[in-house]
This record gives sequence, C-alpha cells and structure tokens, in this order.
Amino acid sequence: MSRTLRWVLGLLLVAGLLIGAFLYLPFRSWLPGGTVGNVSTRLVVNGPAFNPLFPKIHPGEQLVFTQEKRGFSQARLKEGETTKALLSISDVLTSPSTRAKFSAAKLELQSWPLVDQGTQASALLVADRFQVKVIGQGAELTPDDRHDLLNAFDLKGLAALAPETPREPRALPAGKGAPLKLPLPQRQREAAQAAPAAKSAVLEPAA
Amino acid sequence: MSATVLERLERLPRRNLTVLSLRGISTLVPGGWRNVTSAEELISEVMGISDPELIQQVRERADQLSRARHEGYTRAMSLYDAVNRSQKAAGGLRVLANVTGGLPLVKRLANLTPPSDTLQAADLSLKVASEMLAFTQVNGLPGNSFSDFRASLNEYAGEAKVRMAALVCFDALLPLGDQALERMDGLLGRVGHQELRQLPAYAGMAAMIPGRGDEAHLNFLRRGVDTWLDWAGGFVGSLGLTSQRAVRALETTLGPWQGGFQQLAIFLDAFTDTYQHTGVQAVARRLVERAAAEI
Repeated sequence: MSRTLRWVLGLLLVAGLLIGAFLYLPFRSWLPGGTVGNVSTRLVVNGPAFNPLFPKIHPGEQLVFTQEKRGFSQARLKEGETTKALLSISDVLTSPSTRAKFSAAKLELQSWPLVDQGTQASALLVADRFQVKVIGQGAELTPDDRHDLLNAFDLKGLAALAPETPREPRALPAGKGAPLKLPLPQRQREAAQAAPAAKSAVLEPAA
Repeated sequence: MSATVLERLERLPRRNLTVLSLRGISTLVPGGWRNVTSAEELISEVMGISDPELIQQVRERADQLSRARHEGYTRAMSLYDAVNRSQKAAGGLRVLANVTGGLPLVKRLANLTPPSDTLQAADLSLKVASEMLAFTQVNGLPGNSFSDFRASLNEYAGEAKVRMAALVCFDALLPLGDQALERMDGLLGRVGHQELRQLPAYAGMAAMIPGRGDEAHLNFLRRGVDTWLDWAGGFVGSLGLTSQRAVRALETTLGPWQGGFQQLAIFLDAFTDTYQHTGVQAVARRLVERAAAEI
C-alpha cells in the first residue's frame, strides 16, 4: 500500500470518528430507547400534577407518597404501621395495552370504565388518558372498598388535566423558517372537493 | 445492552457470604428478611395475584421501564455498582495489607492503605449520599411539599430496614466503634480533598453529586449525612444496635469470629456485597410496584 493511501485512510478514519462523535453526543437523548415507549416526555403529564388529586384521608390513616415520575405518581395508604393499599395515577400515553384492557370493561364509576384485575387490584380509566389504580395489600380490602377509594380521588380534576389535542410539534430552529403557507392552493382544493357534490346535487333530479 | 433490574434480581446469589451475613444481621431487625431473588415471586407478592398472564404483563412493563434511559433505574444500579466496586477495592487492599504486614519484604505495603477513621467516615458518607441519589433516581421527589418528601424517605428507610441495619453495622459501628454516629461529625470535618480523591467510588459518582468541585460535593455529603445521622441515631437507639450485638448476630450464620471488630469490618468489605445485593432488591420492589400500577 502506498504511503499516501495509508495517510488518506488514516485521516478518513479519524475524521469519521470525530464526525460520528460530534453527531452522536448532542443527539443522544433523541435516539430511540431514551424514554418509556419512545414517547417524548414533554407529551406526558408530570407527576406533581397528580399529587393533589389523591383522596382525602380519614382520621387515623396516613397517605405517604412513595414515587413520582413523569406520568406517574404513587402513594401508600397506611393505617398505623400496616400498608392497606397502593394508590396510583398514571398517564397511559406510554402504555397502549393499558388503555386497551378497558374496552372489555363491564363496570362504570362516574361514567368512566372500571376493571378489576385479579383479586387485589381495581383500575379506572379517566378521560381515556389517565389510569387510577388501587392495589390492596394484605387481603383486607373488598372490591367495594377499592371502588370507594377510586371514587374518593378527585376524578373531575383529573379529567381536566387531559389535553384536548396533542401539542404542536416543536418550533423549527432559527434560520429554518416555517414552511410557507399559501392560501391559494388550499382554496382551490376546497373548491375542487366541493365541485363534485354540487354536480351530484344538480344531477340528482335527473337520475 | 445491560441487564434489566429484574434480570439482575434473578442473578443474585441464593446462598453465599453476602446472603449469610445479611441473614445474620436481620436477626436484629424485627420483621426479619427474605432473600427475594425471583421476579415472579416479587410481583405476585406486590399484587397479591398468581395469574401467570398478569405477572407476565407486569414483568414486561417493568423491563420496558428499566430499559428507558430517562427513568433513572439504570443510573441507580450503576451508583450501587460504583460503591460496591470501591468498597471491594478498598477492602481488598486492606486485607492484603493485613496479610503482608507479617512478611518482612513486603511490609511496606501495609503502610499504603491505613484504614484510617477519616477514610472510613468518608466512605460511609459516600454510601449515604449514593443512597439518597439512588432514591431520587428511582422514586423522583415524591409529594409536593418538603414534609411529604421527608415522610417518603422515612417510609423507604423503614421498608429497607435490613439494608439500613447492614449499613449502620458494617460501615459505622464495626469499623468506628459504638460511638460512631456521635463521632461522624468530627470525622467528616477532617475529610478533605485527598481523602475524597482516595475513594474510587467518588470518581464514578462525582458527576451525579449536585454542585461543582470537591468543596461543593463535600458540603453535599456533610449535609446528606447530617440528615441521615438524625434518623440513624433513632434507628440504632430503638433497635439497641451495638458492635458487640452485631458481631454476635453475624456469628449465628457465619460461625465464630476470633479477630477484632475492625478486622471483621475489613473482611466484610472485601468479601461481601451487601450494599449492592439489598440495593438491587430495593429498586426491584419499587419498580414492580410502579409496573403493577401502570399495566
């Protein structure tokens, strides 16, 4: 192999590695696998928004928050030292199969679908977006107790958290202006769509 | 791709020195301790179910969660790994120093690693700090107020009683004596850059400790340990933990021990990974509680 060829190959390798490193590092968080189900974290409702919606507790009971992440918040309902139940609210955006299980729901609570999972857990889907779940610890809670607990959550407040439409995609970086929106072609298209309908209306009596 | 939390749980040993020493320490703690190494068992315990289909769903969700880089489970695991590696390295050096102390030619090796109290205090503070960092990585900052967060920390500490007892006994009472908690403040005051730099775990953790530079990190460690000391003082008082009792508890499973308390501490440092073992179990439990709530 000639000397120059070796140099060129070496430099190419170095340049490739450098470019690779510079491309890879800043965009690492954009690569798939960073978030749960590859759903952008900014679309998921954050945990602190759920915390005030947990049930008001009875005297003698205690509500201890144990976990809070994006799209999830969990608390333990305790009486003295024993844990009675795990209460949680989660955003089902990252877990489509969670939402799917409610399609077979037979029960309803405040007109939201309600499902019992196994002997210890009950789940409620609010506003087609948030799952409220009570998991009994120990065999003390009956299904009715769990449904009462679900009912004690601030379900209206939770439903109000659901955004109506997914948010707009992020603004383009400076220097790359938004694509031009020309009103003219759109109007033409509308007119084109309207035309066959008008025609058929005209033709109708003849047919 | 690294192993998920539940895979690591299933790879934990069922019976070795680590498990035996934990079992020994757990005799001091009410409620005892079970060596959970099966994901299915953990899931069915948390959800109170035995339906294999549901268990499989929970498991899939848990794996999905622990694979997501943003969720912090992998970061907590790597914190525990870093602390464990450092503990083993330091323990191994000290064992070597003890062994070679008797040989004339390699005697100088013994002077390399003085198991000084200050270093031990720094090591403990790193463990406490990594425990707090791992807690926030796994659980976020639960609750919307500071008192909520405090209650949450207390709840976690109560749940991980054996883990905390092992930390208190193996890293404070045995190497530093019964007055360890009272002495910590003074000892930590003497910890400087050099001591911190000598700990291998620090290098791995430095990026995750809030603040910039050794001074800021030291401040964080001191404050972290201060809050922990309050709690640990009550914990030691309520259980009546002493180094004497810890040794006796360990002897029930490990067999009789002839040497001093410090040697036992060094031995445990070098040959067991209690911190990592119980750490994986604690994270797995929280992860399963979340996955069970999300499916």
